Amino acid sequence: MVETFTPAVCGSRQRQWLALVGFAAGAIAASALVGTALGALGAALGAQLALVAAGLALLAAAREAGLVSFPLPQVRRQVPERWRFELPLPVWSVGYGAGLGVGFLTFQPVATFWVACAAAVALANPLAAAVSFAAFGAARALMAAWPRRGHEDATAAVESLVGRRRFLLVANVVVLIACATLLAAPSAGAATSLGPGFDPSARGGVLARARMSSGVSNILLQPSGESAVTIPSGSAPSVDGDLVAYGDSQGVKVVNWRTGARVTQIDGAVAKPALDWPLLAFVRTGSTYKRLIVADYTDPAAPTERWIARAVVMNDLGRPSLVAGRIAWHKLTPGGARIYVQRLATGKRTVVARSDILVLANPSLSSTRVVWMAQSARACSLQTRRFDRRTVKRIYRTTRTTRLLWTTALTGRTVYVTQWSSKTGSSTLVRVNF
Amino acid sequence: MRRPDELVDDVARNLSTRLAGGLTRRSFLGRMGGAMLAVTGGAAVAAAVRPEESEAFHFCGHIWTTGSCPNPMGLPRIDKHGYPLRPGDGRPIDNLGRLVNSNGYAIDASGNRLRGPDGKLLPRAPRTRLCEEWVKERYGHNSHTQGSWYRCCNNQIRKLADCCSPSKKRINGDASLVGYCWGGNRVFCVQYYDSGLSC
Repeated sequence: MVETFTPAVCGSRQRQWLALVGFAAGAIAASALVGTALGALGAALGAQLALVAAGLALLAAAREAGLVSFPLPQVRRQVPERWRFELPLPVWSVGYGAGLGVGFLTFQPVATFWVACAAAVALANPLAAAVSFAAFGAARALMAAWPRRGHEDATAAVESLVGRRRFLLVANVVVLIACATLLAAPSAGAATSLGPGFDPSARGGVLARARMSSGVSNILLQPSGESAVTIPSGSAPSVDGDLVAYGDSQGVKVVNWRTGARVTQIDGAVAKPALDWPLLAFVRTGSTYKRLIVADYTDPAAPTERWIARAVVMNDLGRPSLVAGRIAWHKLTPGGARIYVQRLATGKRTVVARSDILVLANPSLSSTRVVWMAQSARACSLQTRRFDRRTVKRIYRTTRTTRLLWTTALTGRTVYVTQWSSKTGSSTLVRVNF
Repeated sequence: MRRPDELVDDVARNLSTRLAGGLTRRSFLGRMGGAMLAVTGGAAVAAAVRPEESEAFHFCGHIWTTGSCPNPMGLPRIDKHGYPLRPGDGRPIDNLGRLVNSNGYAIDASGNRLRGPDGKLLPRAPRTRLCEEWVKERYGHNSHTQGSWYRCCNNQIRKLADCCSPSKKRINGDASLVGYCWGGNRVFCVQYYDSGLSC
């Protein structure tokens, strides 16, 4: 290829540069397109393929190191020579670039390209995969232009590169092993199953969840580095340090889970607690309305209540999240869904997400951002937004009715989410880092 | 002797000519179609819809190339108000594609309300109109159900309705036409309503 882009072949130095630019444009565009397609395929599959890609990278490294031998899928062809004679220079140069930029239409001396394809599928992000593969196209273009730098004869430059082949092969093996390590390590957006459970809550190194046992919901608290604690016949836990609020048949209770001592309780048609002691939020259901209430136990003997929001009883309000002076909740009606965040001190309320189509529900807060679940007929996703920005980002997505998302808990850059099957009702707690 | 449907056809044509007045035929058909179907029980419209084998571009009766309006289940079947129905049997569904009862709660095939992973009854999900709400949210247009035409599909009259908006591109991505839309709108996507009236 380097012999093609010479002033003699192209007709002049100016046309040589025109051809190189065309070649580069074709190579980068074609490789970016391949990356986009692979990333989109990964997103459509919705499966966690990072470990598969890691395995392929290790296998490729073994091949390049000479430990195993197997043929690579490839098309043993070169770019059509006749194009240079039959087509205008801009057309054949772009065509050559595209043909080589695609990657699989020519010789494959090493397996690295196929590992990159697998990694792009595992990435499941068309834009990121496009950018990554565009670098491959740029490298192709560089190899067409670079060898003549400082060399009178471009082929001599290529041959000096070939002389370093052994070093390049070893470097390739090292890179493949590094890729395998990175792909196998837990990464942003990767989901880790934490076993059965639902309604997570996480604060201060303690993870709480509800878990069904013989049709009864119990609460499981897992402090980091300590033994788990179980509270029987409780649901919808909200943990804050040594305290946990939960719902039961009587109403809502707040207890010290280490000692079992009851701190307070609210009886009646109340549920969905959120705890940021001395504040306790919950939803009270009346005959006509559901109301989201925040109770202040600064003076335990005389707690005060204020209602934050309400919805007619047939609509859905909650599950609230209460962190660092903010409260978040959702409102679901047949007309649409809204995610609200309100500053308790000022009463300033923001609609951080709204939809007339999707279900938006179960937000959870940290000190800097809010996360919530979004559901359509075809997919569920976790979405997030920082308080100081308007951009909404998707951090996790599932498809199929056996992998629906439900309640969430956010701590730092880790989201815990209930993942459940509408067919069986069974649920799993999943941790997503982003 | 003339065929009965030809006789009724003449009546319908004369009626429409008198009523149309200053309106264009296309906009008149679009506005009057729904009223006629409701008031006459479909008799006049049925006469205008001869039993025929309707070509289906992507669903029966749709002989043009505009794509379906966004919908939960792959086909844009609606009720007379524009809310989504399950394409196979016409039962109401919510925006997640779940069967719903008269109060909008998701139910199973037996009519029992669905429950979540905590065993509690699931809340209602949004159930909104494919043209007026779905198109507006997904594509940013102020859209309205306007022009319509009728075909005989599965031995019953199907009303195919244009979802019209000011957009110069239709949902397919290419240039939109005025079609049966009015008021400066153009056809963006299509949806359909099965009347159940025999044809």
